[in-house]
Amino acid sequence: MEYKPTILSGGESRSDDQIMAAHERRHVRRVSGPGLPGSDGQGEPLVIMELLQRLRVKDVMRDHDIISVVRTDTMHFAQNLMKRNHISGVPVVEGKRLFGIVSINDIIMALEGGWIGDPCQKHMATNLVVLEEDMPLAFALKYFENYIFGRFPVLNKERDLVGIVSQRDVTRVLMRELTNELARLEGGAPTPGAAGEQPKSEGALPYYSMRQFVIVRNDLQNAGKAANEIKKMLGEAGVEKKIIRRIAVAAYELEINICIHSLGGSITFILDGHKATVIAKDKGPGIKDVEWALRDGTSTANDWIRSMGFGAGMGLSNSKRVADFFDIKSTVPTGTTVLCEFNLPEKA
Amino acid sequence: MNINDIVKTLDGTLVAGGESDRTVGTVVANDLMSDVLLNDGDDILLLTSLASDQAIRTANIVGAMCVVVHNAKPLPQTMCQVADTLGIPLVSSPLSKYESCVRIHDFLKAESGS
Amino acid sequence: MKFAEIAERLGGKTVVENTDGEIAAAYTSDLLSDVMGHCGDESVLITIQNHLNAIAVCTLAGIEGIVLCHDRQPPDDMIEAAKREGIGITTTSLSQFEASVKLADLRPSSR
Repeated sequence: MEYKPTILSGGESRSDDQIMAAHERRHVRRVSGPGLPGSDGQGEPLVIMELLQRLRVKDVMRDHDIISVVRTDTMHFAQNLMKRNHISGVPVVEGKRLFGIVSINDIIMALEGGWIGDPCQKHMATNLVVLEEDMPLAFALKYFENYIFGRFPVLNKERDLVGIVSQRDVTRVLMRELTNELARLEGGAPTPGAAGEQPKSEGALPYYSMRQFVIVRNDLQNAGKAANEIKKMLGEAGVEKKIIRRIAVAAYELEINICIHSLGGSITFILDGHKATVIAKDKGPGIKDVEWALRDGTSTANDWIRSMGFGAGMGLSNSKRVADFFDIKSTVPTGTTVLCEFNLPEKA
Repeated sequence: MNINDIVKTLDGTLVAGGESDRTVGTVVANDLMSDVLLNDGDDILLLTSLASDQAIRTANIVGAMCVVVHNAKPLPQTMCQVADTLGIPLVSSPLSKYESCVRIHDFLKAESGS
Repeated sequence: MKFAEIAERLGGKTVVENTDGEIAAAYTSDLLSDVMGHCGDESVLITIQNHLNAIAVCTLAGIEGIVLCHDRQPPDDMIEAAKREGIGITTTSLSQFEASVKLADLRPSSR
């Protein structure tokens, strides 16, 4: 399997964006098959090779709260956004479509050239190197090695922007997976991906752990497995009981919601330092009136679901009630994403 | 009130999940699992009519100490397996849930009175 | 026992009256199929099912009144149907367990 670097061309071409394109080209080196940076892929430790192939770009990318601008925002606005969030580039996005990227270089040039008040669409780079969500992590590493960029936009098959991946994201997940893998090889540790023996500071929680669960539509037989698994992970990580219960409740409600109301989706659980995050993402059909759906006792469940003990209309409000931070975004018919965050206080 | 007391009081049988020495903290009589999740009590005794894996998974989420299914409802084999895996005592009782509520309450009252 | 007395004991708010019915038994359940299968007549149903279908089940099973726990409010279509069928509805802040215990002198409903 060979992935070619994907170059996304923006709609409108203009003469001065060639500056950025040329800038890119200078730093492009040959992109070839899998392998660790700086190696020819020969003689790599098998564990690492296996990991780099098993993990996909979507496993490491950031897929929520992506900081972006729209085409009509000014370069000045983009500059402030980067400054405030300590980032070196911001994608130009409308809906799910990626139009370009404004990088710190573009800002510097705008300041020098006196066009910092112009809309981003005039000066953004439109010839973009992007990653696809299903590419093995090995390819992402190659990209980081071969281009100067610190981050890449990630697109799905429909060419929608689904995430951003930075070198830091890759390192973080890789370190965690490697630690798990090594612990497993040394025996007695849990299966890959589970929260296990991890580097710990004094009595602290594991610093990073992530699991993704696929939720199948109407598969009530298996619904709840993800939540129970998450509960187990939190227990092993030594999180306080009361907090575990809140997280598990949210995960369970969201899991059931995906199962009975959507066409299917996934639950992603991230344990990251002092925060636990549950992300529920489905493939549609989306919620027409989110405000209504958030109210207690509102439900579109049918009698079959009710007879199984669900569909009392508490799902979303229950998850919101237990979370420290709650966010929901829904589009008809593409789907709904729910984010629940929980603060994990230091254990005494 | 421990598992043995529950089994005896409700004329029930411990069918899965094994023994435990936990005692009843809060009684929840509910068949809608979302509603069970709303509960903040500890050591929940879950009285339900829902004979499905979900009853056990929900019980595990809220840290329940025992699940009782009523009307001698046949229990799916998978439900018993889930109870065994998660270590949650599962009791089958021939009583209706209403009667269970009354009997459990009487027991707890007598217990706290003595 | 009259439905009004039940409502009073539970400190409930009666939404739909039932002055005629005589209540001798109680059944606690939130699964309508379960109610259909086990609950006999002259009964009060202790539940959180604030759904129109609950009234249909009551009519079929001969249930005289519904106690809605945890302050669940009946929707308008449920109230209309209850009035039509002469089935009482009262709401209470109590849980199903607490409400059942307060009505402990009724007999367990069965069929």
